[in-house]
Amino acid sequence: MAKWLGVAARSIWPPLVTAVVVVATWEAVCRLFEVPAYMIPAPSRIWMAFITNPESLLFNAGVTLFEAVTGFLIGSILGAMLGTAFAYSRLLARGMMPYIIAANTIPVVAIAPIIILWFGHGVQSKIAVTAFLSFFPLALNMMKGLQSYDRVIMDVFHVSAANEWQRFFKMRLPNALPYVFVGLKLNVTFSVIGAIVAEFVQADKGLGFVIMTTYRTLNMPRLWAAMLLSALIGIMFFALIALIERWAIPWHSSMRNDE
Amino acid sequence: MIHDVRDTPPNIGGASDPLVSFDRVSMIYGAETEQAVHALKDVDLHVDEGTFVSLIGPSGCGKSTLLRVLADLIVPSSGLVQVGGHPPEAARQSREIGFVFQDPALLEWRKILQNVALPLELQGISRAQREKEARRLISLVGLDGFENVRPSQLSGGMRQRAAIARALSTSPRVMLMDEPFGALDQITRDRMNMELVGIFETTGITVLFVTHSIREAVLLSDRVVVMSPRPGRIVRIFDVDLPRPRTLASRDSDAFAELVSLGTKELEEGYGDQIR
Ligand SMILES: Nc1ncnc2c1ncn2[C@@H]1O[C@H](COP(=O)(O)OP(=O)(O)O)[C@@H](O)[C@H]1O
Ligand SMILES: [Mg+2]
Repeated sequence: MAKWLGVAARSIWPPLVTAVVVVATWEAVCRLFEVPAYMIPAPSRIWMAFITNPESLLFNAGVTLFEAVTGFLIGSILGAMLGTAFAYSRLLARGMMPYIIAANTIPVVAIAPIIILWFGHGVQSKIAVTAFLSFFPLALNMMKGLQSYDRVIMDVFHVSAANEWQRFFKMRLPNALPYVFVGLKLNVTFSVIGAIVAEFVQADKGLGFVIMTTYRTLNMPRLWAAMLLSALIGIMFFALIALIERWAIPWHSSMRNDE
Repeated sequence: MIHDVRDTPPNIGGASDPLVSFDRVSMIYGAETEQAVHALKDVDLHVDEGTFVSLIGPSGCGKSTLLRVLADLIVPSSGLVQVGGHPPEAARQSREIGFVFQDPALLEWRKILQNVALPLELQGISRAQREKEARRLISLVGLDGFENVRPSQLSGGMRQRAAIARALSTSPRVMLMDEPFGALDQITRDRMNMELVGIFETTGITVLFVTHSIREAVLLSDRVVVMSPRPGRIVRIFDVDLPRPRTLASRDSDAFAELVSLGTKELEEGYGDQIR
């Protein structure tokens, strides 16, 4: 159990060194060449913008995180359910897949105003946009994963007189997990994008809201602080899913090289 | 000791009813289509309990189809198949059939112990009981110490051992083995053959074993069934009356060499049919 935590700790060092080098160079260049703050603020200015009023930024980051995570969960669960239905009914999959794929290609910025109109001005509409984005990757990957089982293993289950539930829970679902995690990792990125884009369209809180208002007043250090916080949310969320993946499918070849 | 199946149906007048019987069994894949394949035609085969029977013949002669019909993985187009007097479906439901495929087909996400215990788990046997039995079988196939290892960390031969243990877990009456050692190197194969023959001789289980190797067939079997393709059918059945217990040294006797050359001739005739 502690092994994958150790692996995670060890793999943190190289990117940390990169970060230190980049930040130091950035700071030096900004000071040396007196780069105007509205173009590229120095890291120290961004840090000042954050530290003078951290509660406000952290509160807005919390709002965005909440929208992203809730939308991620709702969209992923609904997507997994539809993907399962598709895996079991070829007819359903054939009938609906073209429209699913078509809906998936609609740019989020085009659909967000419509969804917000439907779901109102609160966080629920941002969650709806996020859920919409998180839906397709999981539906498609769940279907692929459930269909990708080994025919010989299915024969083993048949000869062992397994019932339909056992085939699902002891064979097809575990076999689909690597695909599910591919979908979940895509959804992490999509859900943060979805929440912030929805906040661009209409919001009175959240990092997207902060980015829009600071842009209008050209308060660039604060905008950069909000932008970096949104990246941090995405990275932490992604790391969490990757950790769960390591724990859930340690047997999979994608996990094996670190063992 | 050769029966020509065309005039003397084997096993007639046996003391008891055969455990496995095929009567005029035919299998046509895609019967309604233009590419209909006559995989089995009028197959008659009777196997007594406790016999080791090998099926041998060129690719496409219906060996796998024969086993799959018996395991209720497919339903024949016509004819009667019985296991212990019951149709295959009933035999499968009461777990009288074990099947070892060429591919070990282990669940990657399970340790060896849980893989071997899978059929008992599907049967609803308690964890303590099924793991006890799985440990016994893991030891029987020589995998002691590998209970908590994942399949990906084992060699091909070891994986196939686990698959054999898994197939034995429900104590089936019939063991179906479809080229189980086909992917193994010669040394591993010899060793696996000896382990299999040991299990057969101590448990008295009935085995139907598909192989491409006439030497392997003679070494292991009581009877060898030679098949021929297009349409898939049985052309000869001969008895192997080499003494048991068999060892790798059984291959050194004159009787063994004679049976191998006999079987090879039968096989070549089968291939001849194919060319003609
Ligand atoms: N599911 C299937 N659909 C159509 N044809 C099949 C199928 N399975 C086997 N066949 C055909 O039936 C014949 C017998 O196949 P098989 O029983 O696998 O032979 P063997 O195991 O002796 O090589 C072959 O010609 C094969 O192509
Ligand atoms: Mg075959």
